[in-house]
Amino acid sequence: MMTLTINKKKVRAKKGETVLEVAQREGIYVPKLCYLKGVTPYGGCRLCLVKVKGWEKPVTSCTLLVEDGMVVETETPLLKRLRRFSLQLILSEHPHACLVCEKRIECADYQECIQKTAITSGCKFCARNGNCELQELIDYLKIEEIPFSFKYRNMEIEKCDPFFERDYNLCILCGRCIRACQEIREAGTLDFHHRGPETMVGTAYGLPHLESGCQFCGACVDVCPTGALRERYSKWEGVPEKSVQSTCLLCNIGCSIDLKINDKKLINTTPTHEQICVRGRFGIAPLVYHPKRITQPLLKKGDRLVQVEWKEALAYVAETLKAYTGKTGILFTPQMPVKAIDSIYALARHLKSTIAAPLALDAVVRPFDVKKFERGSVILIVNTDMVSDFAPVLLHARKHSKMQHRIIVIDAVKSRVAEMADLWLQPRPGKESDLVRTLFAGGRIGKSVGVSQEDYTSCRDAVKEGPVYLLFNADNMKGMKLPKRVSVLPLASSINTLKILEMGTDDSAERVLKDKSVDCLYTIGVAPRLDRKYKRLIVQDSFPPSFDFDLFLPAASFVEIDGTVVNINGKIKRLHKATEPLGNSRPDLWIIKEIGKALNCDLTKRTIRRKRRGKKSQLRKITVTKKYPLYLIVRKNSFVYRGHMLSALMKGFERLRYDNRIWINSATARKLKIADGADVRVIGQAIDLTLPARITDHVPPDSALIYAHPSLAISGDQSVRIECIKS
Amino acid sequence: MRKKARKDFRLHLLVCAGTGCAANGSFIIKDALEKEIVKQGLEDEIAVITTDCQGFCERGPIVIVQPDGIFYHRIKKEDVPHLVEEHLFKGRPVKSMMFVPSPEEPAIPRLMDIGFFKHQRLIVLRHRGRLDPENIEEYIGFEGYSSLEKALTRMTPPEIIKEIKASGLRGRGGAGFPTGVKWELCRTSPGKKKYIVCNGDEGDPGAFMDRSVLESDPHTVIEGMLIGARAIGAHKGYIYVRSEYPLAVKKLLIALRQAEEYGLLGENILGTNFSFTIDVVQGAGAFVCGEETALLASIEGKVGRPRPRPPYPAEKGLWGRPTNINNVETWANVPVIIARGALWFSSIGTKRSKGTKIFSLVGKINNTGLVEVPMGITLGQIIYDIGGGIPDGKEFKAVQTGGPSGGCIPRELLDLPIDYEGLSKAGSMMGSGGMIVMDEDTCMVDVARYFLNFTQEESCGKCPSCRLGTKQMVHILNRICEGTGGEHDIAFLEEVGRSVKLASLCGLGQTASNPVLTTIKYFREEYLAHIREKRCPALVCKSLISYIIDPQTCSGCTVCAKNCPSAAISGEAKKIHTIDQTKCTKCGICLSVCPPKFKAVKKTSPAVQ
Ligand SMILES: Cc1cc2nc3c(=O)[nH]c(=O)nc-3n(C[C@H](O)[C@H](O)[C@H](O)COP(=O)(O)O)c2cc1C
Ligand code: SF4
Ligand code: SF4
Ligand code: SF4
Ligand code: FES
Repeated sequence: MMTLTINKKKVRAKKGETVLEVAQREGIYVPKLCYLKGVTPYGGCRLCLVKVKGWEKPVTSCTLLVEDGMVVETETPLLKRLRRFSLQLILSEHPHACLVCEKRIECADYQECIQKTAITSGCKFCARNGNCELQELIDYLKIEEIPFSFKYRNMEIEKCDPFFERDYNLCILCGRCIRACQEIREAGTLDFHHRGPETMVGTAYGLPHLESGCQFCGACVDVCPTGALRERYSKWEGVPEKSVQSTCLLCNIGCSIDLKINDKKLINTTPTHEQICVRGRFGIAPLVYHPKRITQPLLKKGDRLVQVEWKEALAYVAETLKAYTGKTGILFTPQMPVKAIDSIYALARHLKSTIAAPLALDAVVRPFDVKKFERGSVILIVNTDMVSDFAPVLLHARKHSKMQHRIIVIDAVKSRVAEMADLWLQPRPGKESDLVRTLFAGGRIGKSVGVSQEDYTSCRDAVKEGPVYLLFNADNMKGMKLPKRVSVLPLASSINTLKILEMGTDDSAERVLKDKSVDCLYTIGVAPRLDRKYKRLIVQDSFPPSFDFDLFLPAASFVEIDGTVVNINGKIKRLHKATEPLGNSRPDLWIIKEIGKALNCDLTKRTIRRKRRGKKSQLRKITVTKKYPLYLIVRKNSFVYRGHMLSALMKGFERLRYDNRIWINSATARKLKIADGADVRVIGQAIDLTLPARITDHVPPDSALIYAHPSLAISGDQSVRIECIKS
Repeated sequence: MRKKARKDFRLHLLVCAGTGCAANGSFIIKDALEKEIVKQGLEDEIAVITTDCQGFCERGPIVIVQPDGIFYHRIKKEDVPHLVEEHLFKGRPVKSMMFVPSPEEPAIPRLMDIGFFKHQRLIVLRHRGRLDPENIEEYIGFEGYSSLEKALTRMTPPEIIKEIKASGLRGRGGAGFPTGVKWELCRTSPGKKKYIVCNGDEGDPGAFMDRSVLESDPHTVIEGMLIGARAIGAHKGYIYVRSEYPLAVKKLLIALRQAEEYGLLGENILGTNFSFTIDVVQGAGAFVCGEETALLASIEGKVGRPRPRPPYPAEKGLWGRPTNINNVETWANVPVIIARGALWFSSIGTKRSKGTKIFSLVGKINNTGLVEVPMGITLGQIIYDIGGGIPDGKEFKAVQTGGPSGGCIPRELLDLPIDYEGLSKAGSMMGSGGMIVMDEDTCMVDVARYFLNFTQEESCGKCPSCRLGTKQMVHILNRICEGTGGEHDIAFLEEVGRSVKLASLCGLGQTASNPVLTTIKYFREEYLAHIREKRCPALVCKSLISYIIDPQTCSGCTVCAKNCPSAAISGEAKKIHTIDQTKCTKCGICLSVCPPKFKAVKKTSPAVQ
């Protein structure tokens, strides 16, 4: 502990703190722009200058470490002058028309000129108006005029990437985005380029973010003090008036998020104290207000779907389910609160119906905290990309130099994480689980696996002892025997997976769908492809399924409800209601309870503990033949909300990964004369699909990759033939 | 013995092969000399040796005949047979190839009698033109590496530091920080791993002292670093050389390899427990990379951008470890100080600035080149005694010291003794030793604009004050040069200039406004002429000058009209010509083609109003 004096006030500080941080803590305001908590101080904006006794020149307090006995002044006339000087200079390149406009007072009321110009020439034309750090500082430093000539840098506004756009004409070069990208996200997408008056922020060679390793985490957008970086979806939604902390349900990690509310509407979602991924940052608000979302109960009357009141809808369900007691199959999404899951189990028991969720039930799970990998451990990543889908987990894994982790990737596909791993073993497609099994069981590795003995040995030596974390895609790694020191996490699984594994289900979703005795299907947030007819089809969801139904019960989204969920670490996470359910939609729990009420069934009794019946499914051996010459890799897609692929609902997600396409190796595509984006037919023993192609070198030769999805009714790797039908 | 030892020859011909002379064809001269010597059968008596830069580049190719020190300059290939025959064979030095200070004065035969050399004091450049930098034996022959031996075997690290402190040596790279104090800070900084760095970025346009030292005497720098490493406790050093200096890199690499072979680098140097290695790093080319924190970032492979200090490199430098960084010239001083003692070194110079400083003397001056002078010499002595004054009988106007962000010092201050404090009191600085002489034809507003334009483009872009403040100043200066400035612009420039100094992070921003502030201070009337009278007294600013034809002397020869690219000149043969000012683009061709006997075209900048 040491003592220093700031503006005559004695304050205590710890070694390693900066003067700025201490002043802030003591409630002494020091203007700042480039300072960003948690990253390396930059000392570039020059606004936080202070005077230290005994020092000739003013120094930046954001970079100045405290020293015992230091005497600091933060508000001398010189400091004020220099701060005004720097800010005025910043404004000489930052469109500030409104700031010095004579009509600025009336404009606030009448908005005469708002949005009449194509470029942002002043605050009134900027999405950040009223929520801008420059404006705050202008007020604080009482700047009313800019004595310098103004220069509009006239750089093209970058609108080519999904989710956010960039107008670097508004950029003040504080470097916060760069440090967030490099230090917080370790993405390294952004950096400064050029020097002198040409200095600018951007990607290497000015490439689009899509081609620059960007995670689309939005960290840069969230730290930008100006309107230079702005989220496309919410940019004109104004300044949030309140923020509600809740949990993102779009994957099994369940990150905490802040729901930003303005005028009773969710405008966007931002990280709380921890990092989140593209889904949680950019995927939620557009989902909630998606034009395709159904918010009224719909009942089929004759050939028509008719909007009905809840009373009528509920009466219809109760009647139907009663009539089909013992002949109903229930499929439900894990992406709802545990209470809703408990209730649906109770309802299922009452109705003697079979119940299942789309999960890999035989997946091994040995939960651990994904934010705390033990020092010196080996992180084994199998068949999952992580950069695009589990970036926040990867961030912890990558605390490399500090934690001395080793990242080993086993994947036939060249994923982005493979490219940054310490070691990447690329077995032949489908051989990943063989490889992992041998790795721990010992023994030599077969030639057919396609991995060099040398790589295999160094991998085996690495995992021989000490903590190992296995992160894998649940769909193609099954029935694994692993030593105790290996913690296991099926990454591409769903929130509440542990909850459902604990409760057990009657069967896998696939088998429920194949079950001939089911006459009535009640789906809750699951939108499978149906291969047979049902007598009754009840859908409870937010978006329409791909099949016809008899009744649609509009479910509220997870930002519109209270409740709890269990994440893959086994942690209970809370959902907090931030807005009223849209239209006439209702929480899943409410709907299930109302059905229970109508059926006179007590759903509060949580007695159900069914024995899991999911059989240990064996990995099928896949052989390519003359007829089906290509190996089709099928990966579970973790970009799904209640059975709907995010990419089908939001253009940005489609462009992000093209997970709605079949990825074909480029050499193979050339042979087959398939162009990027062309529609192809994929024919296998059990499948016949048509979908667009994505040509890429990320999949190995003679193979293709599909992200599995309920609506495709495809699971597990298989051999196929691909035909080009339209280019 | 493969070769005859040096002293076995009767005469040595030292042919300068520095970058300047080489460009003027010194290798052709060397070939011709050798051939001619063989022809005359003198090859056993006379040796031809190439040397590095003699510093008098402007006069190249240069040949010096030793041991008498006869200096020949601007030698042409045709002169060689005559020279060999007369001087080498018959022993009669050739007057016509000797240096003549001015047409009225006699030729000066001996190097040491030429003003350019006479007033210099060679400490850093002590081996100038005397040794082959690619041969370590020659360096050792001149007592090289004996200081290292002394430092390693007869001095403790604190004693070395004490000696350097007592010598009063200050950093030659810019700020003039006392070198011994810096070493001590790094030595006492906690940490096991420490680094030392030699700053050879030399980004100042026109400056080439460091290049010259690295190319001609790399071992001095290496020896200096070895001594420094010993004193500080460092085991690894980096020499950062700008990428435009491939020859320096080449010579350094050769020198490092030889030093390694001689056990002077590596493990257990000279049988002691001291180990040290040096790597050469090639710079990224930006001026700002010479700033120490930017340079360290650049060595680490990051973008070279200055960061705030503290922490100073001595506490947290390369990879967060204590690092001592010194300029090439600073390092080169070290072996001499150790060899000859602090007392001797501190006897040279002024009260607070000891030793010598190398300047690269350029601009409107008769003798351009590198000069090493004792601290305390006056600007006037450098310009007139060494530099030989201003060419073409023009008037001296100002001298700019310290590189692009140094100040411009006027005639009134020519008696100013050169040292760190003196120069900064005059509004300029020592910098790394650039010295640009300007004559009466220089417009001081234009000069200020020129230098500011350089710094604004080289600003790393971090600080608004530097990135945008300099830009605004350039903007105002442009206005003044175009004749559209207002009187308030001067005060505004001064205000902005002072704020830029105080608000900027690194030395670049902190000094960028020097040229503006000093020109306003010393040449205010020139600014006022531009503003009030729309007149450029030096006839430089294009917008404010015009070309006219003097009707008194014009003979109507039509040459100007024929050559004017804009067809702005009209007039019939034998009649007086006139220039249509609306068409004139001020290219000045008419002025240059008008026959000297008429001198009818005049450049003017008349006062408006
Ligand atoms: C913009 C700028 C450029 C600089 N360029 C050089 C350079 O080219 N060479 C150099 O030795 N020092 C340069 N310096 C000074 C260095 O920062 C540093 O002070 C010096 O290398 C320390 O060595 P010394 O103590 O031996 O002078 C520069 C400083 C600034 C601010
Ligand atoms: S979105 Fe994330 S990864 Fe992409 S540039 Fe911004 S901070 Fe970097
Ligand atoms: S884009 Fe925003 S955060 Fe990034 S440097 Fe510019 S102003 Fe700062
Ligand atoms: S003063 Fe100029 S060069 Fe130095 S850090 Fe600031 S912007 Fe960069
Ligand atoms: S906050 Fe300290 S310089 Fe910007």
